[in-house]
Amino acid sequence: MEEFFKIAKSDFSQTFGGAFLFPVLLISIIWIFRQEKDWMKKILLCILPLVFLFLYWCPLTGLLFMKLLGENVYWRILWLLPMAVTVPYACCLLLKKLYGIKRQCVFLALLAAVALSGKAVLSEEWFEPSLNAYKIPQNVIDVCEVLPSHIHAMVSNRLMPYIRMYDPTITLEYGRNSLGYNGITETESLEQILYLEAQKSEIDLSVLAPLAKEAGCAFLVFSNNRTYIGDWADYGYREYGNTDEFVIFADEDYE
Amino acid sequence: MRLEILLTAAIFFGGTFLSGYALRHALKLKKEGIIFSIVSGAMLWWAVLELILVPMTMALASFHSLFYLYSALTAAMTVAGCFFRRDILEDMKELKRTAREYMTPGYVIAVLLICYQLYFIHHHMYLEWDDTYYVNLANEAVHSDKIYWIYPETGAIADFDKRYVLSLWPIFYAWLSRITGVLPTVMAHTILPWLLIPLAYMVYVLIGKELFGEDRQMQGMFLSFAVLLHLFMSGEHTSGLTFLSITPWVGKGVLAAILLPLLFYWILRSIRDSSFGCWMLLGTTCLGGCLLSSMGIMLTPLFVGTAVFLAGIRKKSFQFLLCGAAACLPCILLGVFYIYLTH
Repeated sequence: MEEFFKIAKSDFSQTFGGAFLFPVLLISIIWIFRQEKDWMKKILLCILPLVFLFLYWCPLTGLLFMKLLGENVYWRILWLLPMAVTVPYACCLLLKKLYGIKRQCVFLALLAAVALSGKAVLSEEWFEPSLNAYKIPQNVIDVCEVLPSHIHAMVSNRLMPYIRMYDPTITLEYGRNSLGYNGITETESLEQILYLEAQKSEIDLSVLAPLAKEAGCAFLVFSNNRTYIGDWADYGYREYGNTDEFVIFADEDYE
Repeated sequence: MRLEILLTAAIFFGGTFLSGYALRHALKLKKEGIIFSIVSGAMLWWAVLELILVPMTMALASFHSLFYLYSALTAAMTVAGCFFRRDILEDMKELKRTAREYMTPGYVIAVLLICYQLYFIHHHMYLEWDDTYYVNLANEAVHSDKIYWIYPETGAIADFDKRYVLSLWPIFYAWLSRITGVLPTVMAHTILPWLLIPLAYMVYVLIGKELFGEDRQMQGMFLSFAVLLHLFMSGEHTSGLTFLSITPWVGKGVLAAILLPLLFYWILRSIRDSSFGCWMLLGTTCLGGCLLSSMGIMLTPLFVGTAVFLAGIRKKSFQFLLCGAAACLPCILLGVFYIYLTH
């Protein structure tokens, strides 16, 4: 039960924290309840959000939803609150009472109030300027333009999520699941040993290269700040190319 | 890129517009307007895709066979719409007659805000790690001609991840990509926002009309507040409204920003007009929601069930409750199947 409230509270503050939109929603509900005469509208715009809030906070229903949806995504229950209908409707109910220029002035003031209650979504904090039509980091495209198509590669974690979005013919040795290997100190799994060695700032080629060969990695892409113990040529790899941020090694047998 | 955006928008909005008229005619819904037709048509397209995609995925069908079948079905729905020119002309005339009424401060501000949102999103990118799964699922479908046989993050052959097998929304934009010849990554990140953001606000236009009748000034003000809330919201990755700006191409984003508000609209409308057509459209939307995300299979019946239950009690109508439950049937069936698959 304590765990449930902990998750519910943390998800709730993640969704509504840093803004005043939840109080705005509650004020809107009260305002509609007092001003609206049509009971059906009261039900859908006031009672319905309150029922969803109750279902969210009630441990009985909450635990059931957590089981169905998954604990990590319990916050999605809050999507059911019709925020973008209830708040605008409450504002419009207020504006309906006014006429002429007074209505227009209050309209602008309410727009400003709603904007100030929230947090700007379209901000540089969350977005970055797009440099290409793919809308993926430019360093990924730079690497992909050096790499040939239809190859199997092991790439830096910085490239891993995006590389196949540019060229789906490239197959990768690791996906996001491998991030779970971080922190493992002792393992006998060759897959994990290869991954963990590739994360080191000083890579021991006597460990990495034979395992990479065995896994069929024709290409290896590392950040150019890595250093290596050993010579790539001794293990059947050669430097194939580089970009501003990455160095690309290829299997010498690769045509 | 402008040409590709225009071409995709023409296919999507043109097709859903005409399909919407065909659907409206079949459901005997007259004089509903152009936006209503586009929104209904889009839901029909998604529901039809869900209907054919689930069995074809299970049967390990190739992407090209799905492509041809779905293209034939959407083309048939689009062509069927052409036979209802009289309905289209009536709506066009009505729009022409009332166009000036929409020139209110509310509508003008809403349109300006939407244009700013589209402009900003077009020139910026939001890096979403989940894309490595979902967008690559579409990339794999187009590239390898296989639906969901391959683990999208690495490209290795893999068993189905049963959590997503019933909700393969990326296949929809893989289909659009194959038609237009654009890589699904570009389709998702650069083109889809131009389709889905206007579609989302069309839903709010419909809600505004339902709430304020012919009062265009209030409708416009309602729309501008709704748009503003999407632009000033809290919770970067947890709030449903922010998804429309950060990742409008992701299925759960479409669910939160388009489908749930649309369910609200259908319920609001069904309270006024409990015709067969309205309930059918609610059912179609529920089925379309299952395509978007496995979350849609759960949240859709929860939303519809709760709203219809509350409204049904007030109406004291058992039939209303029954119709609401029937509309949820596609989600309930798929939900049971989902539980069977995952447990």
